Amino acid sequence: MPTYAIVGNPNCGKSTLFNALTGLRQKIGNYPGVTVEKKVGTSWSQHGQPITLIDLPGSYSLAARSPDEAVTRDVLLGRRADTPAPERVLCIVDAANLERNLYLVHQMLDLGRPVILVLNMMDVAREAGLRIDVSRLEHELGIPVIPCEAVNGKGLVELRLAMSRASLPLPRRAWDIPAEIAPAVAELQAALMEDEGKPPLLARAEALLLLTENAAGGGASEAGAGANRADGGSGRPSRPSRRAEILAQWHQRWLAAGTDWAAVLVASRYDAISRLCAQVVEQRGGGADGAGGAGGAGGGQPSRSDRIDAVVTHPLWGWLILGGLMTLIFFSIFTFAEYPMDWIDGGVARFSDWVQARLPEGDLRDLITDGAIAGVGGVVVFLPQILILFFFIGLLESTGYMARAAFIMDRLMSRVGLNGKSFIPLLSSYACAIPGIMAARTIENHKDRLVTILVAPLMSCSARLPVYLLMIAALLPGEAVSVAGKVGLMLLMYALGTGGAFGFAWLFKKTLLKGEPPLMIMELPPYRLPALKDVARQMLDRAGLFLKRAGTIILAISIVLWFLASYPRAPEGVEESGQLAQSFAGQAGHLIEPVIEPLGFDWQIGIGLITSFAAREVFVSTMGVVFNVDDPEENTTPLREALAAATWPDGRPLFTPLVCLSLMIFYVFAMQCVATVAVVRRETNSWRWPLFQIAYMTGTAWLVCFAVYQVGRALGF
Amino acid sequence: MADSPNPPAIPAPHLPLCQLPAGTRGRVLALAGDAPFCQRVREMGFGEDAVITKLSGRGTTLCQVGETRLALSHEAARRIQVQVLAPPAPSAPSPGLS
Repeated sequence: MPTYAIVGNPNCGKSTLFNALTGLRQKIGNYPGVTVEKKVGTSWSQHGQPITLIDLPGSYSLAARSPDEAVTRDVLLGRRADTPAPERVLCIVDAANLERNLYLVHQMLDLGRPVILVLNMMDVAREAGLRIDVSRLEHELGIPVIPCEAVNGKGLVELRLAMSRASLPLPRRAWDIPAEIAPAVAELQAALMEDEGKPPLLARAEALLLLTENAAGGGASEAGAGANRADGGSGRPSRPSRRAEILAQWHQRWLAAGTDWAAVLVASRYDAISRLCAQVVEQRGGGADGAGGAGGAGGGQPSRSDRIDAVVTHPLWGWLILGGLMTLIFFSIFTFAEYPMDWIDGGVARFSDWVQARLPEGDLRDLITDGAIAGVGGVVVFLPQILILFFFIGLLESTGYMARAAFIMDRLMSRVGLNGKSFIPLLSSYACAIPGIMAARTIENHKDRLVTILVAPLMSCSARLPVYLLMIAALLPGEAVSVAGKVGLMLLMYALGTGGAFGFAWLFKKTLLKGEPPLMIMELPPYRLPALKDVARQMLDRAGLFLKRAGTIILAISIVLWFLASYPRAPEGVEESGQLAQSFAGQAGHLIEPVIEPLGFDWQIGIGLITSFAAREVFVSTMGVVFNVDDPEENTTPLREALAAATWPDGRPLFTPLVCLSLMIFYVFAMQCVATVAVVRRETNSWRWPLFQIAYMTGTAWLVCFAVYQVGRALGF
Repeated sequence: MADSPNPPAIPAPHLPLCQLPAGTRGRVLALAGDAPFCQRVREMGFGEDAVITKLSGRGTTLCQVGETRLALSHEAARRIQVQVLAPPAPSAPSPGLS
């Protein structure tokens, strides 16, 4: 069976449909730019044969402006070595916004491949009073048109049936190339056919694209270089000479004649689309504002989205709502997580005691209880908080609020030289910097994208949550402190990270990566009720990921660390609490102690700083192992209590409030995540930027902690 | 808003989109700015002749074009020249476009 590419404008339901057809679980959300890389899945034809589906990032046009759009263009034109060009195209459009969506469809019809048009969100179109004459549309375009509601699973049977057809008609010719441009297209097409052996229709489509891309300037090719890493940059055919010659020649001719060929091309497509829409779309009820056939809002009653936006994007209320939401999230993390945390804590302790009672004394028992259980258990305790965080993030993504947050932030972002679009990757980085850095592919400008990638890991991610929570518990022990105090401290850490991200963005835009931000145009999706199923699914996925990390990386590090902390064995007669000090891990900790002592950290904390370079939450598991190995009594104490009992050699308490604060600040700024380093390396295609990132972030962490600790000490804390 | 209900007859004032008062409609007259920006604006269906309703805009502009809600940075909105249109009257719909 043939391969289908799923193509459409951002946020029109491509990934929802892809999930429905393949049974996979691609992430979906109600904001543009959720999918930034292609994803391949398998669906089944009505006769049970496999159909390969490629889900592609949303795109307004084949003339790509940003790296995510370049992925779509390159897959469709067969420019990516890792993906054979798909034989057929599944075009998804938002039926409520048909005219705009048909622009990309129009470009797809030119590719010379069979196309199936899916009118998604038919329910929304009906609510807006639009009636679409499907059979007429089918007739005019000469391709199958399937009305559908992917969210409710409606129309999927019909779609599968259409996809299963052994042969599909090629689309009818949808438009005539404007006369001013036709000779240029013909000449380029002939050159592409001769020199590169492309089939006529594909050559024509490429010729049209080359003409528009030329107008769109360096942005697209620059963007292409970023996302093209999969094929080592060799995706672009290496015969540009003749096409470049032809292009340059026409360019000059048009310049002399004063023809804006790019505008002429777009306008002629929209003319054809308008004529088509006039035939197939009927607007019922008032509210037609004249913007073609699909015009809806603008006049008439304000819609639900209008009313919500009036408040949420308000210059004052918008900010208050954003701040209120953040407070609510952290408040929930502290209050609701307490009971499940106690259960997990208790369960881990009982399990540890159970193992201890059953196994004979010795290395194996210690390895299991002091290494594996203490390490993994220490991290797993924070599962409830992670779930609560992702519940809220899921709600924000699913309702359409994400794009509004970017809207509110645009003004602030423009002060630091970026625009609101950069805020969505930063917002995603609150969950994890890796999807955040991937989401930076939606940013058109290369420099702005790089700045966003550089500062994204400063946004406090969910892996920092266990560290913050442990430190806050050590800093503000017991019931004496109200939840508000803890929430306040937590908000302070998040504010510090966010402020740092903005500050450094400003600095980088002023120095390393100067340049005007591109003019921002961003689509805001209509509000939807949160899809609780998707939210729950995402929570489960994230919980699975968190537990998987606990069961693999953290377990492995805990076991290795236990060995490093237990060997070489202290000679007989040395107190057991001296074991750690002269072990391999202890030696490493002692080695860096001079560097971190001015920050208030001793060598035991130093061990945690070293191991947690793998991932931040490893700090917590490391503390679990470190303080258990050194525990002369063979019982499992909760980590919080172990920390409270820790001291410097002279008997001073180690985890004073000032040290806890300093540690938290260290984790706000320091680049402690191997996975992020790897992703930055991949996305920037060099080691230069990830190394720079490690240096500037960890350097800042040291300086800020130094200042805080020394000033705090001087003030008598 | 003393605009005539008969837009084609009387030349209406034109100004950049960032200065269009909130709640007012305008017809796009001309695009300035770099080529990629103009290209994308046209491809998204609000090039010349599109009718825009500005919803709010201090700093960043929020506007509606057809069923699409768009956010434009101040700099972007400054580069779109619009002709101010009369508020929509149910009895006299504005003329169809392109």
